Amino acid sequence: MRSVLALLGPRLTQAALTAWLLASLCFAFVHALPGDTALRIAAARVGDDRVTAEVADRIRREEGLDRPLLQQYGTWLRRIATGDLGHSLVTRKPVWQEIAYHGRFTLGLGALGWLLSYLIALPLGIACGFRPGGWLDRITNGMAVALAAMPGFLVGIGLISVFALSLRWLPPAGFRTAGHMVLPALTLALGLAAFSVRIIRNAVVEVRSAFYMTFAQIRGRSAGQAFAHHGVRNAAIPVATFAALQFAYLVDGFVVVETLFAYPGLGELLVKALVARDVPVIMGAGLVIGLLYAAVNLAADLACVALDPRHDARRAA
Amino acid sequence: MSVILDLPVRKPSSRLALPLILLGLVAALAILGPVLIPHDPIAQDLMRALEGPSLEHLLGTDHVGRDVAARLVHGAARSLALALSCVTVATGVGLLLGLVAAYAGRWVDLAIMRLSDLMLAFPGILLALLIAGFMGGGILPMLIGIKLTLWPQFARMARAIAQGELAQPHVEAARLAGFPAHTILIRHVLPAVLRQTTTLATLGLGAAIMSISALGFLGLGLQPPTPEWGAMISEMLPTMSEAPVQMAAPCLAIFVSVLGATLLGQALSETRHEETIR
Repeated sequence: MRSVLALLGPRLTQAALTAWLLASLCFAFVHALPGDTALRIAAARVGDDRVTAEVADRIRREEGLDRPLLQQYGTWLRRIATGDLGHSLVTRKPVWQEIAYHGRFTLGLGALGWLLSYLIALPLGIACGFRPGGWLDRITNGMAVALAAMPGFLVGIGLISVFALSLRWLPPAGFRTAGHMVLPALTLALGLAAFSVRIIRNAVVEVRSAFYMTFAQIRGRSAGQAFAHHGVRNAAIPVATFAALQFAYLVDGFVVVETLFAYPGLGELLVKALVARDVPVIMGAGLVIGLLYAAVNLAADLACVALDPRHDARRAA
Repeated sequence: MSVILDLPVRKPSSRLALPLILLGLVAALAILGPVLIPHDPIAQDLMRALEGPSLEHLLGTDHVGRDVAARLVHGAARSLALALSCVTVATGVGLLLGLVAAYAGRWVDLAIMRLSDLMLAFPGILLALLIAGFMGGGILPMLIGIKLTLWPQFARMARAIAQGELAQPHVEAARLAGFPAHTILIRHVLPAVLRQTTTLATLGLGAAIMSISALGFLGLGLQPPTPEWGAMISEMLPTMSEAPVQMAAPCLAIFVSVLGATLLGQALSETRHEETIR
């Protein structure tokens, strides 16, 4: 229990720092834009042609734009700390509503991509780990190196040209049916698997060369039995640690992949908001992605403790 | 994300050959290309849009009739130069801050490390994306964004190595003898740090090329009509089934340059690893 709290601290700090930096960036951005902020907000609310000096004045008072900058910054931070993200400047909907709508799509895509990546990487990585240097190992490694050198959109374009344009099995873009999720999820999965297959393979090779495995085999277990009984849990530790790092790849991935496939997730929301300079939405989407990152890191820390009790003991000592 | 992928064990020279050929190819494209391909990379010719490859247009033309080969080679020069600038600045800033953190210790160390934590709290290219987006795209915001995401790795590495070096007896002796900080850092610590930097910088080059093309693809990097690989790809998405060659060319260019940089970084790290073992 103590170790859980010890793990929680740094990750909460990470989350708070991310939120603070994002909030400050957004605040700086709003106030660094040339021209009158009140006029801009007025234009977004009532339309460009109906902005009058009175409307701008009212907004200036309502939003506290006439107060000192430092005080405004304090108010801004307090609002975000209490979860008040405001409304989108483009769609006028509450930012939380936008995030909930788009977040569902991203969670679905991310989960499917993650799952697919382990469906690919686990059997392949274990097979390679049992025969390091064999033909399967060499082919897999070559493909992993090649995939790692491609940004997500290249993999996606490759898949589109094969499965959507040449074979016509799947739709190239959009989000109406389940079929629309296959190619974006596969794009993410291949990018993730390119890295995790090597991590899994190396973990398996290392565990298999350990003394306790030789001992188990001397006692009469087959190589497969010994691995299942003694190896899996040990090999899972580096894999779980790496899963958190993969989230960084996943973020790069879904921002680019969602844009490529016109898939309405958080990444696409963020890119559209950036292009439209819709600050409340940028703030919200960035915040959710940053907090998710901190949460995934925490989950990976906890998974390591669960898999390896020694971890706990070392920390307590 | 940099993960060292395993490569078959070969002699150092042959391991370096493939990545050097790949990067040399891209460099040759960037330097000789504009001379060999006389077309203007941004001149449109709507009457000749989406033509297939011919002797006049080696890689065909895009949706507004621009010569794809010309755009490709001008893009190569741009991508390489921008990526190199990102890595150079990130390395310089990272090494400087890392060395200062290791030497000064205490609150300076704490402040610099917290600052790098702050940057690393943003997964992947998110920070670069936000900064590029806020500042409205274009070269400078993109460069600032990518450099901000790259420097913490260098600072952390430099700090770790420098801490090890500073604890060495000969460095402590120099400190006691009253040599100034910059002499100690430059003469005794920097060489050790630099030996490790090449690998990380080469891998960083690949990462920078990827980030530049990704931002271009998202419309938040270099703006059209500037020839940039990522932006070219996103411009040609709607016509990719009619013009596969035009689409494949910038894709292949990104792939070859990132692959070259990644393989070179790995080859360098393995070569050095073997040297230390020997």
